[in-house]
Amino acid sequence: MDSPPGARRKGASPNRFAAVAATTALVLALATACGSGGGSASSAGSGTIHVLVYGDAGNTVEQQIVDTFNRTSKVKAVLDTIPGADYQSKLNTIINTPQAPDIFFNWGGGSIAPYVKDGLLLPLDDMIAKDPALKSDFLPSVFNTAVIDGKAYGVPMRGTQPVLLFDNKQVLADAGLSAPQTWDDLINDVKVLKAKGVTPIALGGGDQWPTLMWFEYVFDRVAGPGLFQKALSGDKSAWASPDSAKALGMLKQLVDAGAFGSNFDSVKFTDGGSPALLAKGKAAFELMGSWEYSTQQSGNPDFAKNDLGYSAFPSVAGGKGDPNDVVGNTNNFYSVLKKTQHPDAVAAFLKLMYSDEFVKAQLAIGNLPTTTGTANFLAASASPAYSQFQFNLVKAAPSFQLSWDQAYPPAATTPIHTAVQEFFDGKTDANGFIQAMQSLPNS
Amino acid sequence: MSALSFAAVAGRRRTARRTAAGATRPGFGWAIPATVFFLLFAVLPLVLVAVLSFTSWDGITAPHFNGLANWTKLLNDPVMTQSVWLTLLLTALGVVTQTPVSILLGVWAAGPQRNRAVLSAVFFVPLLLSATAVSVLWRALLDPNFGLPGQLPWLFGNGNLLGSQAGSIAVLTFVGMWQFTPLHALLYQGGTRAIPQVLYQAAAIDGAGTVRQFFHITLPQLRNTMITSVILMVVGGLTTFDTVLILTQGGPGTDTTVSAYYMYQQGFKEFDFGAGSAVALVLVVVATLVSLAVVRLSGYDKMRSTAEGI
Repeated sequence: MDSPPGARRKGASPNRFAAVAATTALVLALATACGSGGGSASSAGSGTIHVLVYGDAGNTVEQQIVDTFNRTSKVKAVLDTIPGADYQSKLNTIINTPQAPDIFFNWGGGSIAPYVKDGLLLPLDDMIAKDPALKSDFLPSVFNTAVIDGKAYGVPMRGTQPVLLFDNKQVLADAGLSAPQTWDDLINDVKVLKAKGVTPIALGGGDQWPTLMWFEYVFDRVAGPGLFQKALSGDKSAWASPDSAKALGMLKQLVDAGAFGSNFDSVKFTDGGSPALLAKGKAAFELMGSWEYSTQQSGNPDFAKNDLGYSAFPSVAGGKGDPNDVVGNTNNFYSVLKKTQHPDAVAAFLKLMYSDEFVKAQLAIGNLPTTTGTANFLAASASPAYSQFQFNLVKAAPSFQLSWDQAYPPAATTPIHTAVQEFFDGKTDANGFIQAMQSLPNS
Repeated sequence: MSALSFAAVAGRRRTARRTAAGATRPGFGWAIPATVFFLLFAVLPLVLVAVLSFTSWDGITAPHFNGLANWTKLLNDPVMTQSVWLTLLLTALGVVTQTPVSILLGVWAAGPQRNRAVLSAVFFVPLLLSATAVSVLWRALLDPNFGLPGQLPWLFGNGNLLGSQAGSIAVLTFVGMWQFTPLHALLYQGGTRAIPQVLYQAAAIDGAGTVRQFFHITLPQLRNTMITSVILMVVGGLTTFDTVLILTQGGPGTDTTVSAYYMYQQGFKEFDFGAGSAVALVLVVVATLVSLAVVRLSGYDKMRSTAEGI
């Protein structure tokens, strides 16, 4: 970062100048060589399409689907992976280069909005016109997440991950409670649990996004999905509406009641802190994505089997939102680059995303695909009752709100996380939160 | 290229012979490999970053110039101003906490006894771990419910160490100290071993005890080591990143968002490489000023021998 001071000396002799010039020429030659070298390996080559996915344990299924595709197709598919957390930034680096894939994994919404804006993605409406099942075979609330400006840009793949209210059945039973049906039940549970010396709700505040989940649900229950959609489309007045103030008031009430304890900012979900609180009975609830189940299965198998309960988020009396609404990661999607050389092969590949083989393979590894045919295979899934509960929940949901930090473009992620954390900390009040949300970039 | 460089070498040789009577100095040609690397990996990126700081670039389409937009945004950005102060504060805290401990450890480890060698080896273990591993380790150890704070409530209260600015800064300083003290202790150990024994023998004859010897011989003799060590600490402190990323993620809120982390956030999380470049450039300027100050204040630029008259 910093150059050693005093490295520069005054007065350049002609010879030195010549040497520097030669060096510069060398550097430029190297740079151009690198620039042109990579181009020859472009995906536009001889009859292959590249499929880029997030690298993790789920890749076995993606590889299986690619193999199935290659058995019948002349154009061959190649599966590329980018491991874990680096996915979005590396995708961003290659997406407008010759190394870009033909088809790539994403989260819909804000994760592809910048690429749509730059005209890189292929609208799939023509493909859907030829093969309506590409749209009609998926649950609508899920499919719509990758619809931008009225055009479809993604076909669902992998599974849905709704946010659920998990609980420790043993702790609730000891306190004589059951999973809350309404917000008032929840407040009451918090009081009873606190009196018993249990942290009512485990929260991985250090990760920030678990805190955001509370905002997403309470805003949806109080105001309905419209408020957030209005704000996302650029109408900043939505954040200052009475419904917004009411939702913030309820959240504040929950925090002030000590629902999350006092040290939630030092706890994380990602390092196992908050799931352990729930599993060890030090907390009664945790609001988390459906992956909580598999997290507990691997970390605390006995707890997952016997005492892990789950329910939908409580309803709010007088709220405008449908109590069946769900928030979370609606699904992962495959999107297609406009410059693909083999659109027909791509369309044929995407058809596999509603095939029986795909659904069965995903269910077997614990994912919950959202095709309309999924229901037929739920009995064969890794944990049938849990899969059935989630599937019914998502199917019945009039609205499935994508997580705010993914609905907004990446530029808004950090400001959103900062705002929710500071509001829960009491560092900002409702007005500060509203201002922070109003200054988010929405395109 | 090669012909030119040889011409440069030859030319430099002739000049050197003409100017400096007798002793010839190595020609400029010898500096070419290092110069090429320096230009390629330090100067060129620096220039590119400077150019990028006047553009708007999402990393996808071509960057386009947006004048001073990034800079006016930064000037009015409280997080940026705060990040510079936080960076300087963490750097200062690093120097203040690590220097005394590493001097004591290093001087002690320089002794001849056998148990010291074994214990020194143990002390140097943190040096072998990557900063990321160290941060993950401490993150788990400091979990308020299942880590040390959960066991020692009398010391840590409710264990919400990372929930306040002061607590987070304390944790970052402590983890940095735990990790980097061994490196500096190693420097001081080497420096101490290089002190001529005659000085201690003379002091002993004059009746100076261990403490007096430490303050009047060891410390003054370690002056140059100390300067080297402090400069390393300052450079390391100014670019603190990995511990922040893993331990606090710049939080709570933006309370520990140091400049290097803010740069990463702007560039690689928000994909605003223009703004990220502007932050980087601010960091370069601050780091250069601090380095200059340290060099001037310490006399590093005209480092004097500590062995004069021996």
